[in-house]
Amino acid sequence: MSAWRVVCAKELRETLRDRRTLLMMIVVPVLLYPALLIVAEQLFLFGARRLEAEEAAVALLGDPPPDLVARVEADSALRVVPIDGDAEGAIRADSARAIAVLGAPAGDDGTRAVTLLYDATSDRSSRAHAELRAVLGEWRDALLEERLGSRGLPGSFAVPVAVADSSIARPDEVGGYALGRILPLLLVVVTLLGSFYPAIDLAAGEKERGTLETLLTAPVPARDIVVGKFVTVAVIGVVAAALNLGSMILTFQTGALQLTAVIGLEVSLSLPAVLAIFATLVPLAVFFGAIFLGIAVGASSFKEAQNALTPVYMAVLVPAMLPVFPGIDAGPLLSLLPVAGVAFFFRDVMTGQAGVELGLLVLGSTLAYAAAALVFASRAFGSERILFGGGEKAEVEPGGWIERWRVGRQVRARDGVVPSRGTALLFVALLAVFFFMGGIQLQLRLGEAGLLAAEWLLLFLPALAFVTAGGFDPVHTLSLRRPRATGLAGALVLIVGAMPLVWVLGWLQTFVLPVPWEMLEGLEELVTADSAGRLAWLLLLLAVTPAVCEEIVFRGVLLGGTRELPPWRMLLLNGVVFGAFHLSFETAIRFLPTAVLGTVIAWAVWRTGSLLVGVAMHLVNNGTIVVLASTPGVRELFSDPEAPPPLWLVPIAVVLFAAGVRILLRPAVRADDPHPRTPEP
Amino acid sequence: MIRFRALTKQYGPLEAVRDLTLGVAPGEVYALLGPNGAGKTSALRCLATLLTPTSGTAFVNGIDVREDPLDARRRLAFLAASMGLYERLSARELVAYFGRLHGLRGAPLDARVSELVELFGIAPFADRLCGRLSTGQRQRVSLARALVHDPPALVLDEPTLGLDVVSGQAIYDFIARERTRGKAILFSTHRMTEVELLADRVGVLRLGELVAEGTPGELVSSTGQENLARAFLHLVGGAEGR
Repeated sequence: MSAWRVVCAKELRETLRDRRTLLMMIVVPVLLYPALLIVAEQLFLFGARRLEAEEAAVALLGDPPPDLVARVEADSALRVVPIDGDAEGAIRADSARAIAVLGAPAGDDGTRAVTLLYDATSDRSSRAHAELRAVLGEWRDALLEERLGSRGLPGSFAVPVAVADSSIARPDEVGGYALGRILPLLLVVVTLLGSFYPAIDLAAGEKERGTLETLLTAPVPARDIVVGKFVTVAVIGVVAAALNLGSMILTFQTGALQLTAVIGLEVSLSLPAVLAIFATLVPLAVFFGAIFLGIAVGASSFKEAQNALTPVYMAVLVPAMLPVFPGIDAGPLLSLLPVAGVAFFFRDVMTGQAGVELGLLVLGSTLAYAAAALVFASRAFGSERILFGGGEKAEVEPGGWIERWRVGRQVRARDGVVPSRGTALLFVALLAVFFFMGGIQLQLRLGEAGLLAAEWLLLFLPALAFVTAGGFDPVHTLSLRRPRATGLAGALVLIVGAMPLVWVLGWLQTFVLPVPWEMLEGLEELVTADSAGRLAWLLLLLAVTPAVCEEIVFRGVLLGGTRELPPWRMLLLNGVVFGAFHLSFETAIRFLPTAVLGTVIAWAVWRTGSLLVGVAMHLVNNGTIVVLASTPGVRELFSDPEAPPPLWLVPIAVVLFAAGVRILLRPAVRADDPHPRTPEP
Repeated sequence: MIRFRALTKQYGPLEAVRDLTLGVAPGEVYALLGPNGAGKTSALRCLATLLTPTSGTAFVNGIDVREDPLDARRRLAFLAASMGLYERLSARELVAYFGRLHGLRGAPLDARVSELVELFGIAPFADRLCGRLSTGQRQRVSLARALVHDPPALVLDEPTLGLDVVSGQAIYDFIARERTRGKAILFSTHRMTEVELLADRVGVLRLGELVAEGTPGELVSSTGQENLARAFLHLVGGAEGR
């Protein structure tokens, strides 16, 4: 038996002796889940029947005619009660559940207004409203018939067209549709939960109990240990998912639920559909298992691992919920999105609309994500920093947190320290949230001035405050160096070359991503100036301001805090975060071009060591767009995103881009430090 | 049998072990002393291949831990201060598990497990889950686990930590027995009495550096102190709490 099998066999044996895992894996899906569903359904039906059995107190105001009063009194579900004056007060006091307030009689040909007062937040009031409305409808039909009869007209005279609904969907298809809205999310969540606790237990739990150190002294490669543990987590996840799937299907299909019969749903999944769902659950469980294991091993305790994994759990819910929303159809792109692809595939299988091509795409991409997650977990297990932390723990400095912060600030300022990767990323993440929420409010209240205020107040000032209050070295954190002329020239050539290439990239995207026409029209209107004054304002708003405010955040704090990463990861991260910052659901098409531009600018700043280079590049990029959009004759060239860029521009752009790269690769482009510091030993 | 050669271990700017060179011969018991944070555990973890030395290296039975860590592990028993037992495995299952990880299978594995169960007096609780064992019982199972592959070198990180007198005596007996079997034994401790009782030689670490080495008697006489505890305090004075 190979080492990973020995590890796996032991882990499975231990796991099966763990009540918590067994509870999550077997008891919850097999017993609790259907029991909860049935109990919830019974409670719902009980409540509904109890409501039906009750007489609803209603009142009629405004001199109701005797025939209407008789009709209401004849309805066994309603009881007419007297009301003194204040109708709304009577409903709030529960003296009456619904009140019909009749307008003045309208004569033989007129229309008499009737207002139905009720409380939409009360089930009893809503039911009384529905019953009373039905009686009023019958009264109206009777009056109409009477009017038509008095004129010798048939009842059909007032109904020239009779519209009737008839859905072609069979009850089982409707059932599949209803199921397809809810079950994908549930299946993803239970698969995730199946892996959640075993992953924590097998990684962080082992560290907490001190057994990982012992295990790693055995002559077994870390790779075998991680594979053994991973297979265990994946097996448990798959078993939990299979049990859940089986339990759900049995609950719905065996008629255990009366509600489905009551509302006319027929739930039945064919065997091939169940097998297809199960086949996709396996790589999903593998993906969750590997990613959870890789994260959990970095935690030093069960509790810490729970804290670390909970955000992942929440993040997974977002793509898993997408099939719940109407109007979103699975396409090749969504199929490639982790978790979302699987959830959409489940929905399509349940509604009988799943295609083989998309199914294979989902299966393949999920397997690829699972493999990547496994590599991530293997690396985590191979890292002594993750397994044993940073070595012997440093003693906590004395004093309260303010004192520690104050002392730390002095030390950071003295030693020229830049923020750590985690600190910088957390700062940018928080900034993005505040900018998103505060920026919207400012723009709603102040319009374009709000956009200007948001950039300066919510990006520039916090970034400056972060560096100053944190005691970080501003020169090293923000790359505050005067650029060399060669570096600046190279960067400008680079951005001039990059802009048309990014345009080409944006155009290529239109073949796979939908073009948000409304948003583009709004954007075009915003960037187009029709007077010199307006042009100056737009250049300040859309070129100068973002060039300063966004650069200090992204090529300043973020780039400064991520220098410890390998250069390609640092630059890629910068571009991705910059792209994500400009992202919204309807502007997904902007992500890639913005991310590429961000990466290019980050590379230039990194090469030259000067933030001013980034500011200049950003300024040129945004300023060019504003100027071109405001120039009649040129504007039309790029106002249609689906139109290809002029072909002659591409080779020129490539040459300029290559020239910029070449210049920036020279060692002489690096700016000098204003106050050179002796590097730490 | 066990040898450190100019081994240094750094955690970022912190130098936990600096240029450590020492050796433990077969049949010799070597005690590594030092205040908290002196670098004892880091040094032992480097030897057990749990940590990678920043520079220098260590050898177990002639095997370089950096070049062939798996082979070094086959020749070494490592007992961590935390004992490291799987709570949901029985004592017998745990010893057998580590036997399998060391490549033992079938009858030889069963025979070795039975031998260790007998040797450490585990039989009365061999089939009880480790989570239900007393501290002394857990320590005996840990020793059986560490010795399942009968290696020539033993590394014990504070082996008597948290044990009562009876259980501590069992550890002393074990160390004495393994010494007579020709094992090279390196252990760390804070208890001077067990150093005087067991150690042939002593090394004192201070801020990651080996500041003194010799027999307990040599350390006492070289420092001019009246006993080993005072000699130790004299050597490491003021170094705790790094």
